Amino acid sequence: MSRFASGLRGLAPFVMAGDGGLDLLPDLLHGLEAEGVAAVEVGLPFGDPIADGPELQAAAARALAAGADLDGVLARVAAYRAAGGGLPLALMSYLNPLLRPGFAAACRAARDAGCDALVIPDAPLDAAPSLTTTAAEAGLGVVGFVAPTTPPSRAAAVTLASTAFVYVVGRVGVTGAATRLDGDLDALLAAVRSAARVPVALGFGLRDASTVAAALERADLAIVGSALVQHVHHAAEAGGDRVASARSFVRSLLAPTRR
Amino acid sequence: MSSSPDPVFLHDAPGPGWFGPWGGRFAPETLVANLEELEAAWHDFRSDPAAREEWDAVLRDFAGRPTPLFPARRLGAELGVELWLKREDLLHTGAHKLNNALGQALIARRMGKTRILAETGAGQHGVATATACALLGLECVVYMGAVDAARQAPNVERMELLGARIELVEDGQTTLKDAVNAALRAWVGDPEAHYLLGSALGPHPFPTIVAGLQEVIGREARAQVLDQAGALPDLAVACVGGGSNAIGLFRGFLDDPVELVGVEAGGTGTSPGLHAARFSGEGGAPGVLHGCHTRVLQDAAGQVLPTHSISAGLDYPAVGPEHAELARTGRARYVAAGDDEALDAFLRLTRTEGILPALESSHALAWVLRERTAGRLADGLRIVVNLSGRGDKDLHTVLARLRRGEEES
Repeated sequence: MSRFASGLRGLAPFVMAGDGGLDLLPDLLHGLEAEGVAAVEVGLPFGDPIADGPELQAAAARALAAGADLDGVLARVAAYRAAGGGLPLALMSYLNPLLRPGFAAACRAARDAGCDALVIPDAPLDAAPSLTTTAAEAGLGVVGFVAPTTPPSRAAAVTLASTAFVYVVGRVGVTGAATRLDGDLDALLAAVRSAARVPVALGFGLRDASTVAAALERADLAIVGSALVQHVHHAAEAGGDRVASARSFVRSLLAPTRR
Repeated sequence: MSSSPDPVFLHDAPGPGWFGPWGGRFAPETLVANLEELEAAWHDFRSDPAAREEWDAVLRDFAGRPTPLFPARRLGAELGVELWLKREDLLHTGAHKLNNALGQALIARRMGKTRILAETGAGQHGVATATACALLGLECVVYMGAVDAARQAPNVERMELLGARIELVEDGQTTLKDAVNAALRAWVGDPEAHYLLGSALGPHPFPTIVAGLQEVIGREARAQVLDQAGALPDLAVACVGGGSNAIGLFRGFLDDPVELVGVEAGGTGTSPGLHAARFSGEGGAPGVLHGCHTRVLQDAAGQVLPTHSISAGLDYPAVGPEHAELARTGRARYVAAGDDEALDAFLRLTRTEGILPALESSHALAWVLRERTAGRLADGLRIVVNLSGRGDKDLHTVLARLRRGEEES
């Protein structure tokens, strides 16, 4: 049974694998699990990320400079699983790096390492003829995106095609800048939630405890990426420990919902 | 690395936007509705006689179409071939780019768009877009790599005079690829704008639209060569960056017994980083970049490789998906010419015919010069070369190279 089952709720941080060095990834995942996050999106860095703002572009560049690639990231995911790590994990990658070993082989490798799902920001689920079937044959769940610009009929189709979770993009734009949780977004989320048989995630621009709390009133999962990546990077530049700073930031994000 | 497309791209019956296993729409979800709207607007534009009439009139009265097909007799005689130049350099603003910019700007206006975003490498597409926007009263923002802006300074000044706002891109290698990244990100955040993509690449429907707007080159060239030479050419040759001038020329001859040759930037060598040769250089493999599945210069991990060319317009790591299919089926072949060869061709045409070709177009000519000199092209062949742009913008680059050459010798 998929770790991304209906009923999964909570914070789903995004981490850029390799930012600060690949070897800290297992500890980072264990640390986030200890803080009680619901799931993690593990980002494979790509040098030309067209859906990402400056924070995640910079993080990808740092991770690539540190030598991160698919094999290296999956080896650390496998190490996390071998040490008992139980979080639902989604591998987030632009399509091109997954094509190098062959898409089917990349999916099998990701599943064998312990990933549960695949998130591809430049490949809508209907973009290639057998993208989703290939992932499904490898035992990976797929994640469709629904944006504020997505027409209702398409949103319904994407929701039904999503087998791990549905990723609702909270705002028109690339990752990073602030999101306003307004009435239009509420209507979009309500429509997706009523049709979804998998958890519904809200992301893009969630930056602090109040936006996370507001997101969790509306969606099952709240994805925080740029703000966490940036916080940890600044802490590390000031000499701090990356895992510790990630944990304390996540704790601060979850504090209001735990009161 | 495999040179075959991944099985996920194979279809029983490729739909719109696919050229065999190449092409597709690999764009963030936020843009999908925009791309579908644009596809519908393109069909509407193509099928509306009034739109066709306006488009034809603008091409004729504003852009200066048809462009001539010129018999380059002196250079042809030196080479022992029959050489014809399709004079896109004589189009208003100095390159074929205006065909596409005017067409897309007209479509954007029909869609009710008031703001145009564009990327540019050599600056020719940026100038063409700024010009089309001035003509139609549209706001224009052009994304340009900082390195390109420095080496194509006159085009930056032209765009600004035309009223465009230039956004310098400081990411990556700060050339065309990074300008496309920046323009795509800007469009993700501003879907009310129209993204006026400059080459026959990107997510569907861009490769289809741009080729459809550029095929006027090949249509004219075919009629002109039949009229002026009395026969089809043996070869049609064009430079290939993204590949819009080449696909425009090739589409005129696809169903004819004419050999089609695309000339990529060979730069200074075949090793990664020294060239922009997606077909013939090291590192070229199937991949997805900027919204389409095509041939991409990349490393073993699927990261896009840096490129080099003396010509900013060819300095790009991917190629239009229709070219990938023409190469796969063998209908066209793709070769490379290097920086020095292009420079020699630039000077040769300047001195023998009184035409300063763009460094991009010089690559197409350079391949003909090299192959003929090496005896690999037969005597008397009839060859049409697309002179896609004029070289005034490259004077700075050419003169700097010549001065450096003098100092070294």
